[in-house]
Amino acid sequence: MNRVVFSITLQQVAGKRRTLFIGLFALIPVVLAVLVRTAGANVEHEQWAAEGLFPVVIIGALLPLAALIFGTAVLGSEFEEGTAVYLLTKPIPRRAIVLPKLIVAWLATGVVLLLTGSIAGMVALAGTGDMQIALGFTIATVIGALAYSALFVMLSVLTSHALIVGLGYVFLWEGVVTGLFTGTRILSIREYTLAIGDMLSGTPDVLFQAHLSETGAIVGLVAVVGLATWFAIAQLERWEITAGG
Amino acid sequence: MPDATQGSIYDLGYRGYDGPRLGRGYALLSLYIHSLRGVFGLGRRTGSKVFPIGLTVLAFIPAVIQLGIGALTESTVEFFHAHSYYGYTQVILALFCAAAAPPLAGRDQQTHTLSLYFSRSLERMDYAMAKFGALATALLALTLAPQVVLFIGNGLAGNDLRGYFGDEWTQVVPIVASAVVLCAFIAAISLVIAAQTPRRAYSTVSILAVFMLTWIVSSIVAELTEREIGLAALLLSPFHMMRGFTLFLFGETPGATSPLGIVDYPGWIYLLAAIAWTALAGYLIYRRYEGINA
Repeated sequence: MNRVVFSITLQQVAGKRRTLFIGLFALIPVVLAVLVRTAGANVEHEQWAAEGLFPVVIIGALLPLAALIFGTAVLGSEFEEGTAVYLLTKPIPRRAIVLPKLIVAWLATGVVLLLTGSIAGMVALAGTGDMQIALGFTIATVIGALAYSALFVMLSVLTSHALIVGLGYVFLWEGVVTGLFTGTRILSIREYTLAIGDMLSGTPDVLFQAHLSETGAIVGLVAVVGLATWFAIAQLERWEITAGG
Repeated sequence: MPDATQGSIYDLGYRGYDGPRLGRGYALLSLYIHSLRGVFGLGRRTGSKVFPIGLTVLAFIPAVIQLGIGALTESTVEFFHAHSYYGYTQVILALFCAAAAPPLAGRDQQTHTLSLYFSRSLERMDYAMAKFGALATALLALTLAPQVVLFIGNGLAGNDLRGYFGDEWTQVVPIVASAVVLCAFIAAISLVIAAQTPRRAYSTVSILAVFMLTWIVSSIVAELTEREIGLAALLLSPFHMMRGFTLFLFGETPGATSPLGIVDYPGWIYLLAAIAWTALAGYLIYRRYEGINA
């Protein structure tokens, strides 16, 4: 951990435009929850929260998008703007650069998801008395955010096209391929997050049933975070200054 | 030697150009071809080719699978239908737009070369048209081309080729029409976003979000709320409009449990909406380049 890297990254991430941009995304579940609440016809509120709002809208779309934006920004934008060379030539170990940046990406994603998940969940479930669905899934989202952040930080070290690769992973692999070939679900951060959410929220199986077991999900999450972080550090250690910066 | 009494200081001896001037039309065509090549990364480094060409290959997979089924089995099983082809490839189309549109519109802003274009005979309108035309044409390779493979493949799979084309030639009009409308539609939406900022990160994510988030949200709104609100939501979602007007052009009806089926409005609405969105986005692209500081 390096405090200076941490605070600099925090400032970079908390830019006005990016915050506004993410804020717009984060409003979507809230607006949707309000719309379903006010204009919904025959809505089973618990079912809608456990089948639609959390697994599809928040965990399926918003979590990976927010993590992608922050995860590729913390380190990737330094490469894009050419400031990486000043950072990487400082006499500090590469893990002291990657770890604070990963934590900032996780914090930023986590805060956004915590806000939108709890507000949208409260709107969707108000009056039903079963807030555990909202609470459990929101905590699972924050845990999943660490895995996504680690993956996208690693991608931003590996390729300058991290955004497209990340979007392809989220919407082609997790969105399409895992639906067609169910065996690939063990390699999907979305499925890990859903399994954790299922466990923490204690939803009855009629409402929501995750595809993976809790143990599998925990092992998967630890493996993704560990491997991605290790690989990002290892790649950065082999990084060399070139004429292009 | 020039006359010593005039211009002796300024005349450095450069020769003027008195050859043919190829003019505005030629400039437009050149920019169009250059942009079209750039979409697929032709004339650029390998890294720029991987994603556009890889995604184009992916868009052919359903057609190729259908070809394989046709070749291996004697019967003419239609596993992938022409009217629902874009349902399988819509995510690939969105990824292609998200990868291709930002550099197409943003690179000249990023490198501050717009002023070089606009100081020539090329008008701002021409620039916008060349970029839009390039992206729309490139998209045909992911929409019309697989459809043609599918169509011919289905014909070859059966024993009676002449009879197949005789029966199925009416399909040609909807295949071409839906592909052309679709390409213009998603090219306009992607470019209007990409033209707003030279920052690739913002436009890439925004383009994909516009396609995917509206799709997810509108499906839910259509399912859970009243018909009118559902229709309004679907008319904000490019994927649903694509599905709606493709089914309409092929004369098919949507499944009763799909969002389009639940909302249950006639298909021409989606065609009209898509054309209206294309026109609006086209106008906004034009406005953007009209007002941009170059």
